[in-house]
Amino acid sequence: MKALVIIPAYNEAENIEKVVKNLEKSVPQMDYLIINDCSKDNTVLLCKKNHYNFLSLPINLGIGGGVQAGYKYALEYGYEIAIQHDGDGQHDPEYIENVIQPILNGQADITIGSRFLEKEGFQSSVTRRAGIKFLSKLIQVCCGASVQDVTSGFRAVNRKYIEFYAADYPSDYPEPEAIVTAKLDGARIQEIPVIMRERQNGVSSINLKRSIYYMIKVSIAILICRLTNRRK
Amino acid sequence: MSLHLRILLGLIVVAYFWLILYFIKKKMLALKYILLWLFSGLVMGILVLFPQLLEIFVKLVGIETPMYGLFLVGIFFILLILMSLTAIVSKQTERIKNLAQNHAMLEKRLRELEK
Repeated sequence: MKALVIIPAYNEAENIEKVVKNLEKSVPQMDYLIINDCSKDNTVLLCKKNHYNFLSLPINLGIGGGVQAGYKYALEYGYEIAIQHDGDGQHDPEYIENVIQPILNGQADITIGSRFLEKEGFQSSVTRRAGIKFLSKLIQVCCGASVQDVTSGFRAVNRKYIEFYAADYPSDYPEPEAIVTAKLDGARIQEIPVIMRERQNGVSSINLKRSIYYMIKVSIAILICRLTNRRK
Repeated sequence: MSLHLRILLGLIVVAYFWLILYFIKKKMLALKYILLWLFSGLVMGILVLFPQLLEIFVKLVGIETPMYGLFLVGIFFILLILMSLTAIVSKQTERIKNLAQNHAMLEKRLRELEK
C-alpha cells in the first residue's frame, strides 16, 4: 500500500536529520515528505543538501496549512495512506506500523497515536494534561468521538480522509478540530497507544500566553464546528 | 434637528461621497468592496435631507433625541462594514493559503525537473 509520511517542520534544523534517519530505518518502504513552513533557520538548506523529499512553503502558514499541503500532495500523487509525523523528534517512527494497522485492516479511517492509553513515555505537564482532558471531554460531548490524546499530531488517515483533509483542514492549532470535522463526516477514528519523547532540540511553539489562546480558540472552534456542521 | 446641524451633517455626507469617488478614481478602492460604503452614505444622506424620517424612526423605537437615532444608524453601518471587511480578509487568507500550497508543489516539480 502506497503510504506517505507527512512531516511538518518549522525551524527544525536541529532535529530534521535525525527524524529522517529514524524514518528511513523504521519504515524504509514508505515515502516521506517534509513540509518546510517557511522556517527562519536553515531547515531548507539541510533538506536541499541531503536531497530530502520536501515542499517549501513560500510564506508561513502554520501547522494546519503545512499539513494540508502534505495531504494535497498525497492526493495528487495517489497515496493510499498518509501519516502525520512531527518534525521535532517527539514521535518514534517504530510505531508507524502499529498506527496504520487498523487502516490496513479496514477497521478505521483515521488513527491517532496516543501517549495516554498506556501512560508510558513523555506525558507532558499536569496543566497541559488537564487542558487536553478538557478538550477531550468537549469533543466527546460535541461529536461523540472518544479520543484521549486529542492534540497528538501522530496520525494516519486512509485515502478517503486524505481527500477530505486536502479539501479542508483547520488552521491554527488544528489537531483537535480535525478530529471533530472528520467525526461529523462519519469517520471511524481509533486511538493507538504509542510512546512519545520530549522534543529533542529547539523550542515548542506553545508557551503560557499561547496556551491560553490555544484553549479558548480550540474550544470555540470545536463548538462552532459542531453548530455549523450536520452529522452525517 | 437644528438647521445648523443639518447643514454640517450634509457637508460631511458630501465630503464622504467626494472622498470615496476620489479614491475610486485613483484606483485605491475597488468598487465591489465599497458598495456598502456607498449604501450607508446614501442612507445617512437621506436621513439628513429628510429629518422627518429620522424622527419617525426615533419615535418608533423610543429613543429620546433624533441625534441618538442617527448615531444608532451610523454604528449599525460601521458594524456591517467591519463584518464585511473581516469576511473579505478571511476569504483572502484562504486564497493566499491555497496559492502558497500550490506554489510549493510547483516549486518542487520544477526543482525535480531541473535535476
